Amino acid sequence: MIAVLNTASACAWAGELGQTPWPLLPVANRPLLDYWLETCADMGVRSIHVVLGDQSKHIEDFIGDGARWNVEVQYAFARPSEGPLGYLRSITRLWQDGLFYLGGPFFMRRRKAFKSTGVQHLEACRHEADGEVLFLFGRTADEINTLVDGDPGSTRGLEQLHIHAFPLTSVGAYFDLNMKMVLGEFIRYSVAGFSTGDRSSIGYNVNTPPASHLQAPIIIGNDCRFGSMTSVGPNAIVGNHVIVDSYTELVNCLVLPDTYIGRNLEIRNKIISGNRVVSPDDGTMVQIDDSWVVAQNRPAMRTEDFVRYCILWFVSLGMAILQLVPFLVLYPLVRLSRIAKYERPLFHDPRTGYIALPVLRKLVNRKSAVFSLLKALSLDRLPLLLLVLEGRLFLCGQPPMRHPEDDELIKQLPHYYPGVFCYQDYNKDSDRLVDALWYAHSRSLFEDVKILIKAFVSRFLRAGR
Amino acid sequence: MVVSCSKVKGVGIVLVGAPLTAATVDSFREQLLNWQEAEPGIRNYIISLEKVDFMDSAGLGTLIAVLKRVTERGGDMKIACLQKKPRMVFEITRAYKVFEIYDSVEDALRVFA
Repeated sequence: MIAVLNTASACAWAGELGQTPWPLLPVANRPLLDYWLETCADMGVRSIHVVLGDQSKHIEDFIGDGARWNVEVQYAFARPSEGPLGYLRSITRLWQDGLFYLGGPFFMRRRKAFKSTGVQHLEACRHEADGEVLFLFGRTADEINTLVDGDPGSTRGLEQLHIHAFPLTSVGAYFDLNMKMVLGEFIRYSVAGFSTGDRSSIGYNVNTPPASHLQAPIIIGNDCRFGSMTSVGPNAIVGNHVIVDSYTELVNCLVLPDTYIGRNLEIRNKIISGNRVVSPDDGTMVQIDDSWVVAQNRPAMRTEDFVRYCILWFVSLGMAILQLVPFLVLYPLVRLSRIAKYERPLFHDPRTGYIALPVLRKLVNRKSAVFSLLKALSLDRLPLLLLVLEGRLFLCGQPPMRHPEDDELIKQLPHYYPGVFCYQDYNKDSDRLVDALWYAHSRSLFEDVKILIKAFVSRFLRAGR
Repeated sequence: MVVSCSKVKGVGIVLVGAPLTAATVDSFREQLLNWQEAEPGIRNYIISLEKVDFMDSAGLGTLIAVLKRVTERGGDMKIACLQKKPRMVFEITRAYKVFEIYDSVEDALRVFA
């Protein structure tokens, strides 16, 4: 038998919680994927086929070779146009001896009567939510073919094993599941580092001063620090590596790993993930740029991102120095001839919500050699380069999205990297959304250098036309 | 224009027209001060945040400073039309305990009446 774990399914709501891909979002401080792999191991399935999507690196880093679960792992990519069932049909040869398919964000919630030994008696079945197959199980090729063709199989589905297939269709459902865990269900899945009889679980290396107040039920991860006079619980889940500063109160909330929570705050009915505050009621997210309120306490950048950032920062510095004198000569001439001036419309900002960016706007429709020269040398981008040096923009990236004109567009972007130069600088006819998605997918130092060179050459050749 | 001010039944209605962040608080403060100087008779204020869909700690700090100044002069200040995202900032920073918040300007006006 083979298990196919599909991590490539889209999950729009998970984007509100930060960069963590949905299969790695913690449920009671363990990634969802960890539960899936554990279930496979419980069922005696040794061969795991993991279907990867956009954030494949994170998933591969987490699973590795599968030795942690005593399973053998193969990785594959699905075509974006290919649905889960289409993909399963394309790998028929792999599941001739049985298939255990898990796909899409859902949790196998164990009821009280659940026993892992009951798995041997599971009959062929299939679960779906919103038209997407979440679970599929069959022991023979005939059974699986029937299920893939749409037959639901056993009417009892996973309930045969006293498992409730809990679809995570929204931030609210994700929060609800975590609250169910903290209210006592977590003991069906894990044994805590330190657990008391009042349904509290406290991980390793947790520092709680006597003046802090912990009220059951709570789940606290490993390596956490609480300041004096903090109050945690009831119904609070605090992830690994979380720091809560003094006088802060956490009630009925979920704090994701690597988060700092500042002094004298009140976190009630919220999810906190790094510098994001999310309301589970309707999924509203606020990103807070004040690091003394809430913040990510671990650098979000990977080493290669950091190297790229440093190199491009120095490139920006060099460009700014080179452009400064020509700009100081040409821009006053442009202003004197009243051809163009800088305006500061509002754009979306990944950290602060909005930012006013200086954009050179032509005031009259007539040709001007000075204005053309300014554009040809990309001197109009100098104020934006200064923002790159401040760390507010990227040198190369996606086109900055205007507020409110591009509000709908930005909702479709899982990652937003507003840059001074982008694909549109050398390809005017391109689609902004497609470009932005493509950039997020292929982002690298090589891609940035390519954009920079092409943008400069294209702007130089096009100026005056 | 970050703010537009008007006077209704002797109460200053301050409509904030942009996100209140570090980038806009200076002009908010300056425009409000100018209007307060032009209308010295007004002691009570309603700050309408209907168009404020984002606020950071600088914006919140400015509102607290305005409240302090208004109360020092014997007046009062209410917040109206607080939107979802700024409301979340108010909730986590406990600012909702400092300000009186109303769903609409009319509700806040009724309290001053």
